[in-house]
Amino acid sequence: MTRDVPTDHAFVCESCGSRWYYTRDRCPECRSTAADSYRLRKGEIVTATTVHATPPGVRSPNRLGMVRFDGDVTIVAQLGDDSSAGDTVRFGDVSVLRAGDRSASGPRLVGLE
Amino acid sequence: MTDAFVTGVGMTRFESESSGSALELAERAAWRALSDAAVEPTDVTSVHVGNMAAEAFEGRTGLENALCGALGVEGAIADRIENTSASGASAVLRAVHALEAGASSRALVVGVETMTAAETDAATELISRLVHDREYAQGVTLPSFAGLAAEHYLRTYDVEPSALAHVAVKNHRNAAANPYAQFQEPITLEEARTSPPVAEPLRLYDCCPTSDGAAAIVLETTPEMDGIRVASVTGATGTHAVAERPNPLEIESVERAGQQALADANVTQDDVDVACIHDAFTILELLELEELGFYDPGDAWRATADGETALDGRLPVNPGGGLKARGHPLGATGVAQIIELTWQLRGDAPEDRRVENPRTGLALNVAGFGNNAVCTILQVP
Repeated sequence: MTRDVPTDHAFVCESCGSRWYYTRDRCPECRSTAADSYRLRKGEIVTATTVHATPPGVRSPNRLGMVRFDGDVTIVAQLGDDSSAGDTVRFGDVSVLRAGDRSASGPRLVGLE
Repeated sequence: MTDAFVTGVGMTRFESESSGSALELAERAAWRALSDAAVEPTDVTSVHVGNMAAEAFEGRTGLENALCGALGVEGAIADRIENTSASGASAVLRAVHALEAGASSRALVVGVETMTAAETDAATELISRLVHDREYAQGVTLPSFAGLAAEHYLRTYDVEPSALAHVAVKNHRNAAANPYAQFQEPITLEEARTSPPVAEPLRLYDCCPTSDGAAAIVLETTPEMDGIRVASVTGATGTHAVAERPNPLEIESVERAGQQALADANVTQDDVDVACIHDAFTILELLELEELGFYDPGDAWRATADGETALDGRLPVNPGGGLKARGHPLGATGVAQIIELTWQLRGDAPEDRRVENPRTGLALNVAGFGNNAVCTILQVP
């Protein structure tokens, strides 16, 4: 149910209002299957790293950030620029996140100008 | 408190590329443990193999049954336990449960992995599948999580990156006195600080290697010879997606498993004389020491730099070199930790890495970046 939504969307439980990003078919709080998705807007970088040893099909270096959005929804996602902890970011243009057999595309997080 | 005793231990040297298959290494370690326990294979009533991915690394399935056949074990309960990088400790947990339930009276536990049997890209891809699908799509790996946690730790507590290097230097120094360790050369702070970046601020010497190796123990409920008591062993899960943790410096599975293991053994942190901690990355040794309650948040780095976790310190940590320098053949690691503690508690460790008169030891084996943790406490009876 929640697995085909775009990368920049999170989920909200229609029963209890809980929010989450990492796909699952039931609300982690009340176990309801009634969930809606919504687009994440602005978030703040909690911590960031630049990864130099990456798996096949993934850019190297791969700059990643752990980012907290409204509603305490926190995700780890690729950064499109040199944003660092404390910066505010949003999802940018669609990029190739992974190439190869298990390719994945979606927007990277970029700093607010 | 359990009625299980470690009566025999044995392992292969952990190596960057072994000459044997998983079955051959497992058999080699098993014979050494059986010999140490003075137990014949026909006396073994259960066999528990900790292994993450023999089918993927070398195309081997049914490892537990192949091992029983190779050893001559007959009519025993046998299974393979997979809990990613904590497969070894989970196999110990399974064995203790079998002993406690009366289903077995003499268990053989073997942890094994041959990570280098696969091409590096294939192994990297396999390990990167531990993460949530949405993390996988972003190219996230275990070193990525460690880099994120390390950056947050250093910034939150206003610590220089060199603080991490003290962990690496200590564990390499300990491994240099361990003939079973993959790396047997000490390193300097400068070498650690200037090694190539992997996941900033982590560098090469902040990360464990890929390894091949096997480790085995014999557990008995009514040992005919002196054994080391398994005071407690327990596991706990944490979140699958790392970002769902309220704080990137907290690993709930470690805190839960540790607290429960200490309570079950009826001991406190102050009673622990030696610890084997899952230092897949230097930052993990610090975070786990804090999650286990040995140090307050933000204090483990200073204790490490001050030598408190060195062999002659207040709490010796990873006297065998840890994952960092002994090596980390995934399924074998949790069993190797028990072996190291057993050597230390029996007074069998070589003099140049022997802890002084320990009575209680703690081992922590972690799956993924804290998806699951298993904590074991051993005691001299």
